[in-house]
Amino acid sequence: MSESSPDSPNQRLTSAIGDDLGLGIALPGSLLIDSNGHRKVHPISPLVHAVAVFPAMGGLAIALGVSGWASIIERLEALTFLAFLPPILNAIAAIALLALGLSIVVAAYQYLAWRALSFWIDDDGDLRIQSGVITRNLRRVQLSRIQAVDVTQPFAARLFSMAVVVVEVAGQSDSRVQLKFLTLADAREIRREVLARAAGLSGDTQEAPQEIVTTVPAKRLALSLILRLSTLGLLLATGLILAFSYLSEGWGGIAIAAVTGGVPLILVLSEFVRFYGFTVADSPDGLRLKYGLLRTESRTVPPGRVQAIDFVEPFLWRRPGWTRVRVTIAGVGTETTSSNNQQQETLLLPVATMAQAKDIVSRVLPDLDTSTLTWVHAPRRAWKRSWIQWSNLAAGWDHHTFAIRRGRITRHLCALPHARTQSVRWTQGPWERALNLASMHVDITPGPVTVSALHLDSEDARTLALTQADAARHGRRLDRSLHWADPVNCDGNSPSNEDR
Amino acid sequence: MAAMSTEAAFTSSDEWVRVSPKLVTARRISLALTTLPVIAVVVVLFIIPGIVVAVPIAVSVVVVIAFVWSWWLIGRRVRSYAYSERSDDLLVSSGILFRRLVIVPYGRMQLVDVKAGPIDRALGVTTVQLHTAAATTDATIPGLEPDVAADLRDRLAQRGETRSAGL
Repeated sequence: MSESSPDSPNQRLTSAIGDDLGLGIALPGSLLIDSNGHRKVHPISPLVHAVAVFPAMGGLAIALGVSGWASIIERLEALTFLAFLPPILNAIAAIALLALGLSIVVAAYQYLAWRALSFWIDDDGDLRIQSGVITRNLRRVQLSRIQAVDVTQPFAARLFSMAVVVVEVAGQSDSRVQLKFLTLADAREIRREVLARAAGLSGDTQEAPQEIVTTVPAKRLALSLILRLSTLGLLLATGLILAFSYLSEGWGGIAIAAVTGGVPLILVLSEFVRFYGFTVADSPDGLRLKYGLLRTESRTVPPGRVQAIDFVEPFLWRRPGWTRVRVTIAGVGTETTSSNNQQQETLLLPVATMAQAKDIVSRVLPDLDTSTLTWVHAPRRAWKRSWIQWSNLAAGWDHHTFAIRRGRITRHLCALPHARTQSVRWTQGPWERALNLASMHVDITPGPVTVSALHLDSEDARTLALTQADAARHGRRLDRSLHWADPVNCDGNSPSNEDR
Repeated sequence: MAAMSTEAAFTSSDEWVRVSPKLVTARRISLALTTLPVIAVVVVLFIIPGIVVAVPIAVSVVVVIAFVWSWWLIGRRVRSYAYSERSDDLLVSSGILFRRLVIVPYGRMQLVDVKAGPIDRALGVTTVQLHTAAATTDATIPGLEPDVAADLRDRLAQRGETRSAGL
């Protein structure tokens, strides 16, 4: 925790986490109510959607210019009705005009969408959203199924100090509801109300006070992203290619170097921009994560909705003692789109010391303790099946937790409470069978964490699988993850059947 | 060694149910149907002039070996399917080369599928598939008599209801 404590970090950061990151125009106005008593998003929304067109068009224009689609540029430069401008300005003006036209279309469509969109809390206390310009669509979001409520500020929204409320719901598909756009104060107000209701409290409950737990210093983030074998390997390759090209004067290598050097650079930069200023705050609603340099995102991870965690230790992070914490949250990461984003969205900490990581994890899974587990290791002969990682293969458990270890170069430690087990599998491939080995898997909801105890002794794996099925049943009986703030459910006796 | 099945080594005390041998017929029919286009290709290879005769002969040898091997494997694989309804969970075991056993607690079942394709229906075999919130749960019991499958589905649904839990 050494790097996260300047003089009075709490005051400074507490104000920072809910801060308006707007870049200029702050608009007045609050939630509108339509004739049915339903709430509307902010009337400026169509304009925000329209503005979002410009960065995209700018990117497109740059891509066109760079990728040598010169003929298009030339044609644009030759446009006669802008002939009074110098040719390159002519092209820029043409693209700007195109963007303007497009944004007007977008604004018009979004105006209709805004008129059609309304949301309210129904008589059952569930969130309902009506939307759709052509096809009317009425969605009901069961509050007991809500996994997380987040407030994000995309770039265009930040210009107007606007925000988006994102509600994650457990479900197989289309499990995400977005309300675009609201003033930041309204967005936070809606998040407060929905979270309070989802937690089983009355909608008027005041937002829980939050306390900054930890931040990820920019320097550490940058260093951790560089200290990865893939990054360093590619950069090393780039250096070698450049040196070789220089010596042999065969300049064809430059193109390859641009790729091997450019790819890791882009990866490191994009991750750095995304996780810049990563802040974790604790509140009774759950952990609040906030991060991002250009696009600010804040996520709330409710306690008890975390299914499993994975401590990832890449090889070069071992000396500084760093780890990355990934989590599987029910309902998050089940969308089929943007698989790249999901993986990042399920990060609890991009990089932290082991002590920090354990501290954070103990806040979402309070009873989970990986230091006191009983471990069973893969036998020595497992090296014939997995000749690198065999020495780090193990499964561990206690009365509350099941955990596995795998990976030698990048080490993983995955753990989950028994109650989160969906099903248990025992598998044996032909090679494993010849060595009298077997693997045991604990199935959990889809997400980045895979809990597989690989290549154990066949008998051990068998016993573990059967024991785990029993442990899962006992664990579930004590489960109180739904309506976690509801005192009635906290005695550990009532079964959690609320979402029927 | 071949006779030792996964579940026997697992828990001998549980009562294991095997699937109907009709599944062997059903699967062999679909194997034969999928082989037809391959045979057509081989015949074409024989007819086309200008191809060294050794090529179609080699191909047909490979096809015949693959067919016989699959034919034999189907019998063994079907015999490897078994399930056991325990008081709190369902066990499904399968596989010869890649053996596995899946334990699904009744309280975790989200839905139970009963499926039968055209060949299956003609022969009277049905597949029951269990789904949990985990995508990796692969608990499929093929080759049940339709009434057995319906009974199983009803029992599972009822047990699932009484033991259901949230995520």
